[in-house]
Amino acid sequence: MSGTTIGMASGLQRRLLLMLLAPLFLLASLNTWFDFRSADSAALQQDRQLLAMVPMLAGSVVARGATEVDPPLLLMAPPVADFLSERPGLSAFALVAREGSVLAGDTWLSGMPPATGEPEFSSQEFDGVTYRIVSQRVNTVAGELVLRLADGSDPRQQWLRLLWFKVGLPNLVLTVAAFFAVNWAVRRALRPLLELKEAVERRSPRDLSALDAEGSPDEVRPLVESLNRLFDLVNAQAESQRRFVADAAHQLRTPLAGLQAQVEAWAQAVGATAAQANPDRVYMESSPLALVDIDKTAITLEAGQIFKLRQAVRRTSQLANQLLALSRADARSAHTQPMQRVDLQELCESMLETHLDAATAKDIDLGLEAVEAHVTGHTWLLRELLGNLVDNAIRYTPHGGRVTLRCGWTRDDGQAQEHPFLEVEDNGPGVPVHERTRMLERFYRVTGTAGEGSGLGLAIAEEIARVHNSHLQVLEGQGGVGLRMRLVLPD
Amino acid sequence: MRLLLVEDDVMVASGIKLGLAGAGYAVDWVGSAERALEVTRSETFDLAVIDIGLPGMDGLALTQALRKEGHAMPVLILTARDALQDRVQGLDMGGDDYMVKPFELPELLARLRALLRRSQAATSATLTFGPLELDTALRQACIRPSGTAGPCVPIELGPREWTVMEYLMLQAPKPANKDKLLQALTGWDKEITPNAVEVYISRLRGKLEPHGLALRSIRGFGYRLELQAAPPP
Repeated sequence: MSGTTIGMASGLQRRLLLMLLAPLFLLASLNTWFDFRSADSAALQQDRQLLAMVPMLAGSVVARGATEVDPPLLLMAPPVADFLSERPGLSAFALVAREGSVLAGDTWLSGMPPATGEPEFSSQEFDGVTYRIVSQRVNTVAGELVLRLADGSDPRQQWLRLLWFKVGLPNLVLTVAAFFAVNWAVRRALRPLLELKEAVERRSPRDLSALDAEGSPDEVRPLVESLNRLFDLVNAQAESQRRFVADAAHQLRTPLAGLQAQVEAWAQAVGATAAQANPDRVYMESSPLALVDIDKTAITLEAGQIFKLRQAVRRTSQLANQLLALSRADARSAHTQPMQRVDLQELCESMLETHLDAATAKDIDLGLEAVEAHVTGHTWLLRELLGNLVDNAIRYTPHGGRVTLRCGWTRDDGQAQEHPFLEVEDNGPGVPVHERTRMLERFYRVTGTAGEGSGLGLAIAEEIARVHNSHLQVLEGQGGVGLRMRLVLPD
Repeated sequence: MRLLLVEDDVMVASGIKLGLAGAGYAVDWVGSAERALEVTRSETFDLAVIDIGLPGMDGLALTQALRKEGHAMPVLILTARDALQDRVQGLDMGGDDYMVKPFELPELLARLRALLRRSQAATSATLTFGPLELDTALRQACIRPSGTAGPCVPIELGPREWTVMEYLMLQAPKPANKDKLLQALTGWDKEITPNAVEVYISRLRGKLEPHGLALRSIRGFGYRLELQAAPPP
């Protein structure tokens, strides 16, 4: 499983792991602790064994030595002999006189006798071995002697070592094995949940299609089903909103068409009068007056007013058209129509023809740099997109400027595959970097631009780019002058 | 030019009528398809502008009916529906062009002019653009001075110049694609180069510009025949 998956699953998976493994680890620790506690009783037993040996050692003294300094005669009782022989090099005994000199046995066990008759236990290190030593004053046949017995076999250490191998290590192995097993099991059990999470994360924010409820485990299915219900609801709401905008825009266009037809006719009549009055066709906005005959009632309008009226009506019409286009460019409605093969060169050429008059009116050099290229897409949407880009370029480029339509093939840095692209470049004022993202938003106007457009053109273009699984790139023109709008399409 | 307007919306109809009348068309306006069929049986029109959304029989059915009755006049369809479907259907049923409402008058006029030019080219041997007339049967070009009833003044065109001129005239007011122009010329010369086209264009410019006609170069595309904004006196 990949690292990202672990990261994504952290919450639930980590909690499950912790809750399953913590008690297990606690149990293993308790088990080990209790076993280690038993090591103390092992030590107690050693002391007891040593103490039990003392009378037997005393009984082994069968006679005094010939003189005061001679060692007493020893005849080892069998248990004592066994004790000593079982632990070669790890056991010692000594018969110590009251003043402290060793009469018999190992001389390193010398030392002051205990003050009382009670046995005394002590630990002493000798020659690298820790001995447990018992000392007791005992009356023997050779008089009162101090008997000392030392056991270096240290059953406590042995016991601990034994415990380590028999209890600690298995517990550790068990814990580690359990960790992996539980980890694996938890992951395995949570996989459908993770897959669901990934499926939700992978989809684009605009994709509101239903998730597969059948493939989910029983516990998750209600969640998937309620998610799907939510998607449906959001879908229905978005759809009804889109329909509303489309219907409203559509309904608006009929009265607007009438209004515009009227105003256009007036404007033309005014233009004709002006042209007659002035053969050089230099038209003065404020000077000529237009007489408009409506149902035999004459009213007088200043020519400039009519032109302003026409401008307002044209903009309103354009807004209605664009609102409709925006609702049509919506992914859900676009996907109801099949994609076709779109010839980008042809598209650019027809767009050039359409906008030639507008460009000529502003003395703009509208040109084409087209290479044969094609994509699979929606022709009418791409036409709308390119139309909006060219329209904007001509609108915001000053008189005598230059606008170029481009299409062809491009490739990303370091990639072999070429992608078709569309591009419109102008040498107008350009757009500051910090406004380039926002200018694609609905109704956003770049600061400092004349209030000409509706602020919808680029939003529509971006929406259309999205329907084609791409996005608009806002770049600088050649030499850092002007604006270059670019759409690279996946083929 | 006599034009039939079939439109039920009074506002739109009166606006279009006013605008077209201002542009020199004689406009007959009817409000329904049924009435339009009646009128066309007794009168002849050079052009029809038909709205799709008519009461009763709709504009598409009317177009079809007109074609069935043998009317060959160009038909421009007006629609408030701009779906692709409408367009395809409209053109299939005999419409020659379509426009989406609301529209700008200059664009409507330009489309009507283009339709008329095309139907003219199909029915008569003479192509006109501004003062320029091309008789495709006699392969003669002449300039008819504006505002005067004087005779058409012939201008001399070489055979290749003629081909270029004819092609530009047929395309106008749309621009002519340079590659297609080249193809039109290859009938004359196998080895024709883009540079040669430029030579013919510049020769034509020399002959046309004194008469108020311009051949505008469209960067990366081709040329367009245009009326110069201010013709020299």
